[in-house]
Amino acid sequence: MVLPNSKKVILSRVYLVYFGMLVFALMIIGKMFYIRYKEGPALLAKAQKQEIKVFSLKADRGNILSARDNLLATSVPEFEIRMDVANNHISNELFNSKVDSLSLQLASIFPERSAAYYERILKHARAKKNRYLLIHRRVSYVQLKQLRTFPIFRRGKNRGGLIVIQKTTRRLPFGQLAARTIGYENKKEHLYVGLEGAYSHVLTGIDGKQIRRKINGNQWIPIHDDNEIMPQNGKDIVTTLDMNLQDVAENALLKQMINHEAEMGCAVLMQVKTGDIKAIANLRYDKKSGFYSESYNMAIGEKYEPGSTFKLASVISGLEDHKFKLSDTVSVKKGYVVYYGRTLHDAHVIGNGMITIRQAFEHSSNVGISKVIQKAYKDNPLKFIAHLYAMDLNKPLGLKIAGEAAPNIKSPKNKKYWYRTSLPWMSVGYGLEITPLQLLTFYNAVANNGVEVKPRFVTAVVNGGQIVKKFGVQVRNPQIAPLSVIQKVQSLLVGVVLQGTAQNLKNKHFQIAGKTGTAKISVGGKYIPGAYNASFVGYFPADDPQYSCIVVINKPKQGYYGSGVAAPVFKEIADKVYATSLALHVKPQQIAENNTVPLAVNATWYPDLKKIYKDFGVKTSGGPLAETWTVTGDKKGKVVFYSKTFAKNLVPNVKGMTAKDAVYLLENMGIATDVQGRGVVYSQSLKPGMPLRKGQKIIIRLTNL
Amino acid sequence: MSKRENFWKNVDWITIGLYLVLVLYGWLSIYSASGSSENSPLFDFSQRYGKQLLWIGMALFLAFIILLLDAKFFSSFAYVFYFLIMFGLIAVLLFGKTVAGSRSWFQLGGFALQPAEFAKFATALALAKYLSKLQTDMRAFKTRMTAVAIIVLPAMLILLQNDTGSALVYVAFILVLYREGLPGWILVIGLLLGLLFTITIKFGELYVAIGLVAIAVLFFALSRGLRRQWKLWLTGFLFSLLFVSMVDYAFQHVLEQHQRIRIQVMLGIKEDPHGAGYNVNQAKIAIGSGGLTGKGYRKGMLTHNHFVPEQSTDFIFCTVGEERGFLGSAALILFFLALLLRIIFLAERQRSPFSRIYGYGVASILFFHFTVNLAMTIGLFPVVGIPLPFFSYGGSSLWAFTILLFIFVKQDANRMNVLY
Repeated sequence: MVLPNSKKVILSRVYLVYFGMLVFALMIIGKMFYIRYKEGPALLAKAQKQEIKVFSLKADRGNILSARDNLLATSVPEFEIRMDVANNHISNELFNSKVDSLSLQLASIFPERSAAYYERILKHARAKKNRYLLIHRRVSYVQLKQLRTFPIFRRGKNRGGLIVIQKTTRRLPFGQLAARTIGYENKKEHLYVGLEGAYSHVLTGIDGKQIRRKINGNQWIPIHDDNEIMPQNGKDIVTTLDMNLQDVAENALLKQMINHEAEMGCAVLMQVKTGDIKAIANLRYDKKSGFYSESYNMAIGEKYEPGSTFKLASVISGLEDHKFKLSDTVSVKKGYVVYYGRTLHDAHVIGNGMITIRQAFEHSSNVGISKVIQKAYKDNPLKFIAHLYAMDLNKPLGLKIAGEAAPNIKSPKNKKYWYRTSLPWMSVGYGLEITPLQLLTFYNAVANNGVEVKPRFVTAVVNGGQIVKKFGVQVRNPQIAPLSVIQKVQSLLVGVVLQGTAQNLKNKHFQIAGKTGTAKISVGGKYIPGAYNASFVGYFPADDPQYSCIVVINKPKQGYYGSGVAAPVFKEIADKVYATSLALHVKPQQIAENNTVPLAVNATWYPDLKKIYKDFGVKTSGGPLAETWTVTGDKKGKVVFYSKTFAKNLVPNVKGMTAKDAVYLLENMGIATDVQGRGVVYSQSLKPGMPLRKGQKIIIRLTNL
Repeated sequence: MSKRENFWKNVDWITIGLYLVLVLYGWLSIYSASGSSENSPLFDFSQRYGKQLLWIGMALFLAFIILLLDAKFFSSFAYVFYFLIMFGLIAVLLFGKTVAGSRSWFQLGGFALQPAEFAKFATALALAKYLSKLQTDMRAFKTRMTAVAIIVLPAMLILLQNDTGSALVYVAFILVLYREGLPGWILVIGLLLGLLFTITIKFGELYVAIGLVAIAVLFFALSRGLRRQWKLWLTGFLFSLLFVSMVDYAFQHVLEQHQRIRIQVMLGIKEDPHGAGYNVNQAKIAIGSGGLTGKGYRKGMLTHNHFVPEQSTDFIFCTVGEERGFLGSAALILFFLALLLRIIFLAERQRSPFSRIYGYGVASILFFHFTVNLAMTIGLFPVVGIPLPFFSYGGSSLWAFTILLFIFVKQDANRMNVLY
């Protein structure tokens, strides 16, 4: 290599390079010093009001589902609609020409206000240069879609002044049904009610995080980076509730409470083997509105003196200790009995005054039951109480739903509260308190041959359709009393319906077992005249118990007996369960034993009918061969098919036909059919034989046979 | 003493030590900038800090291999490297993947490789090889042109990839040419033109022209020497005026919109806190809010909330600024400065011109990266996306800089075996 310059020149160049690098480094340090000390305060202030914000991405709350996967509680988007009436892009000309049609359209989707009202507020807001006029608060997505097509609004956010604020609200699609048990959550006020509150940790998702940058005005765009956290939606819970049964329970209870002007009431239906709560209705009279509503979970939260329904526990104790036999007699002649100066009454004298213990229970004699218990345990009341405790009657159920009242069953050990009269009164359900659900759990255990299961409200946690957790049946007490004793008291509960106080529940389809209760209500130790808790608790069918149920109605008027006020609600619920649970009553051989062969007198779809007859082994003959309509007749013990035809241009007579057949026939003839009710057709809105026009509409009403 | 022991003794441990300090400091900053929680595992390869740990491991392995290779390997194959990489640069134009507007990545299975990063050491090798030939005369026009061609070829190819920042790096080689005999006035003219360009954009053509005339009159009146060489100075003056009059046109028509805005933002002509100025603004806030000693490791609010985009790559310096404060940043600058000065010192003690020229190449590239990266972060230079050597996240750049440096470390360790 040819050296270009002298050594001295090179050295100076090297030093220059050194120097240059040093200068640059110093410049950078200097600038940093400047940023730190000169611009620092201003920059810090800027950092405070960053044009970047961390936005929380809301996680959806999980759904609450019924046992049949109906949505009981779900989160839906809801919109608040406002208008920037003074928007620069809305000219006076545009506003004045469109304000009336906009008002008209607004009134058409929000009919609670008139078009004139909307026109007035819009004009007023325009004059006042209101840029945030409230149009409507709770707007559904469907309504929002409509709104976007309205005059002015259809110009969009920037040019039409439409301001949409999205919110999420919790909806209970079944409205009042089981509303209190489904519950709600209000984090601000720390209210965690019902299942919403109890399973809050499962239902609540984990919110995500996203960083967004302000671009202009109030628009934020997400900055994508690796650490964006997507929200994790909450999980669903599957409850044990059956909304069909809930509907019946709620309506039956409501009807009876209105009839009797009651203050408060509840009805709970429980599955015997599993403890599943299939329906739980709680109604309370609201003085302000004058309506009954699900505003308090009485079944769980309200302890009350149960009265006669508690006699079951007393009899179990006596039987278990062999203190008496059901056939032993006791005198109830006077209709009252005096213990240490306090009198205990019966409603009326039963029989000839000398009755068996069985009769005393079935007719709910306070005198009879208290006498035998007093005689048996007078010297050792602790033993009686020990039995109650052994049957878990003093322990709360330990429900996840908040607000369960603890039962109050005192012990002779607590001298301060134990009186000599305590034992006889407690034996008939006074001087102790228990919640309806706790009492039901006890009766359910009797129905379940002594196995006491804990009430279950939730069976599973589901995440995206996958079951992530199952809640099994929980046994509280494997055997609350010996099976022989349980079987004896089961027969007593059947007796109450067959020949006791609840004979109005007798029916030929299925046997109900249970006990009435008519308990006086005390306030501060004094019983209020005329105030009662009327109740009925029991189970059905008695021979193979599937469901237990309790109905308690607080302070009814016009009658106060458990049998008259509470038992009918029980019956209505039981009937519905019976009618909808095929397994409960339809036994295959029952049909075979029925010898009469039904005939189809109304037009029926031939292939269907033929199959039914064939399946039941009924001999048939004749009939149309193709797929068409038929009626049947009886010819020497044989079913004969006759073909049935309909005139093409006339409205057919569909009365007596099944809904399926009627709709099929009508729609095929070109008539739009609106079906109302269930069962078979009993009326039709177009007269049979009328000339038929295509596209006509017909309403057919159905009824159960 | 065996030759092997001798070799390890001759390796410049100061350079290696500085290298390791910078890599470690860099990784800690990346960990802070991309770690999401307090207890993130170090070897989470889905995270940047985890991946970077992998790149560092592989870089150390590469360094070790380079030290084991024969020192002559690189000088012998310098042109081969150069042309292979040039082919790579062409290939990436045809088959590459486009990231953030630059078509400069090869996607190889799970990770991406950026050939432009490797072109730097190849160019340095080729330039050193060419200039170290005995018959090369730096005073010859042909020599200068060939040297410039060696530098400009990769720069043009990278420019075609739309990666202006990486292309700009090749300007740094002027320093090498200067050391090897390029007249100083070329450097001075270059610097003056840069200055003129900047002030013209800042203050407008008219004012600058008036200023030039004023300066010319003033000097003409005062300096006698100037009057003697008046032809030369007049030419210079007229050329300056011509240049100034063309600045605006070039600015409006040659540069692209985002580049224009970046320059304007840097010069304070334009406020654009949401767009082009956003990064710099945020970076300044991060650095400014760091204070003297910083907010503490992994405590940086802006760092942790990812307020500064590209925080673990090109803008890694503001993580240091925010969390380590003024002292931490100054320490970083001093480490870099020490490394650069050490490399020049080593270059000057080389017996072989090849090693010396290559050493200058290494120093120039690192110097350019270091200066421009820091300057853009603190708003002294328009934003060009180039990484901070050894510091920024990214496998390609870390490997390329490691190779660049360790070839030189190897040459230096071998200097005693070179016959003059």
